[in-house]
Amino acid sequence: MKQQRFVALHGGEWDSLQSWLSALERQPKRTLRQEQALDFPQSYRRACHHLALARGRGYSHEVTDRLQRLVQQGHRVLYRAPAPRWHRVASFLVAGFPRLVRAQWRCMIAAAVLFYVPALITLVLMQLRPELAHTVFSSAQLADFEKMYDPANAHIGRNSGTDMQMFGFYVMNNVSIAFRTFASGLFFGVGAIYVLGANGVLIGGVAGHLTAIGYGGPFWRFVVGHSAFELSALVIAGGAGLQLGLTLLMPGRQRRGPALVAAGWVGAQLALGAFAMLLAAAFVEAYWSSIAALPDLLKFGSGALLWVLVLGWLWRGGRAGTHGA
Amino acid sequence: MLDTVREIETPEGISLHLRAAGALPRAQAWMVDLVLRMGVFTVAMIPLSLFGAGGNGLAMLLLFALMWAYWVVCEVWLDGQTLGKRALGLRVVNADGTPVTWLPSVVRNLLRVVDVLPGVYGVGLASTLIDPYGRRLGDIVAGTMVIHASDLPTGQQVPAAAAVPLPLVLAADEQAALVEFAERSGQLTLQRQEELANLLTPLTARSDTAAVRQLIGHANWLLGRP
Repeated sequence: MKQQRFVALHGGEWDSLQSWLSALERQPKRTLRQEQALDFPQSYRRACHHLALARGRGYSHEVTDRLQRLVQQGHRVLYRAPAPRWHRVASFLVAGFPRLVRAQWRCMIAAAVLFYVPALITLVLMQLRPELAHTVFSSAQLADFEKMYDPANAHIGRNSGTDMQMFGFYVMNNVSIAFRTFASGLFFGVGAIYVLGANGVLIGGVAGHLTAIGYGGPFWRFVVGHSAFELSALVIAGGAGLQLGLTLLMPGRQRRGPALVAAGWVGAQLALGAFAMLLAAAFVEAYWSSIAALPDLLKFGSGALLWVLVLGWLWRGGRAGTHGA
Repeated sequence: MLDTVREIETPEGISLHLRAAGALPRAQAWMVDLVLRMGVFTVAMIPLSLFGAGGNGLAMLLLFALMWAYWVVCEVWLDGQTLGKRALGLRVVNADGTPVTWLPSVVRNLLRVVDVLPGVYGVGLASTLIDPYGRRLGDIVAGTMVIHASDLPTGQQVPAAAAVPLPLVLAADEQAALVEFAERSGQLTLQRQEELANLLTPLTARSDTAAVRQLIGHANWLLGRP
């Protein structure tokens, strides 16, 4: 068949498909409700067939370019991602995320060790030799911490600012740290190891110093509430980073490229889960932990309850008997 | 092929042509995004400053959204285009040529942290220069690539002329060469057209302008025009 006749036979069909696709770009919702939407997959596939024919028969660019454009535009519409469903977010948080954490348990335990061991060592060292505080922190920083956790302060854990301000600050600061911890894992895990260790030393150092100078009461009362979410999320983000770096080092029985893509997907889901946990932590930290007037029993009791809930969620969430997805 | 076009076969058995975008247009798109985000933040700060310390917290949340969420939300909802990419005619696509979805977008934008280092996109620049499809590390791990979304200008049409049947049967690639010559004749100078047409004197038995006219007639005949 000569090109002219081919275009005369099918040109009308291409034109109508083209105009439907253009209308879809302008008004997506209305165009998708049209009757023509039902025919779209069929007419798209016919256009693909025509393109293959046009190439096979050596038709000129005038036809092949036109069909190629049409087909690329159609491919984008036919194979686009389904609309996000909110119940998937819920089922991910309840079941998918804990399952994913358990699936990566080796990296998670490594991350926990990398974080908690330096923290505990620093904490103990500060009790034995309090002057070490000055090698870890500058005097200005130390003065700042001491002011924040002064037992005479009505709002513990901060110098000034309202709950809302601190909520924004915690979200910005903590989530950014978690995301960076995950991403820096791509450097063969070195970044994640460094961030985990450094944060362990810092947090252990603050806790140790304040306990050593006798400000331990307000400090522990402040951190016990949100520590369950915050520390677990930091460890999970670090574990996600470690997992990414280790995949780069040891891709296993896959080529590095596909192995990294798979590890990236796992890491992104872990990072998103850590993000949700840190939102919860920031909320608790800004609106609950800062209240100084509550009795110790309530503070430590609620903190312990949150730890049990978080660990239980990570341990049992999404098991065959309980999962909801 | 020393070419940045990536061909991807679709389930329909045809190939998509994805033209990879290089570092320069992407840097420009990033600059547009940066200016836009700074503008939004500055404008939003005016009413937020009235709320005092609480407004400060909201400003932090806004900053967080602009720093981390802006990219993912734009890319997923605007068919793989942030506003800067839309201005530059770029698009982020998955490995199979479809618009980018949630998780790949999250991966490539979280790993932006790595590409930014050291200084301003040092790793990212090196990676785009090494990778055959100009992907930065985040793109490689996410399995995405950034392409030029705009269409190439359409080719010229074969000028209409009375069809002249070919005296002998030509192979398919020879026919294609003839039609392509006719298509491009509008972009060539007259002298160049004649020079090329004179190569085919054995076929046309003519030279110069007459040969060009004869070849265009043959092309019309090949396309099936009257």
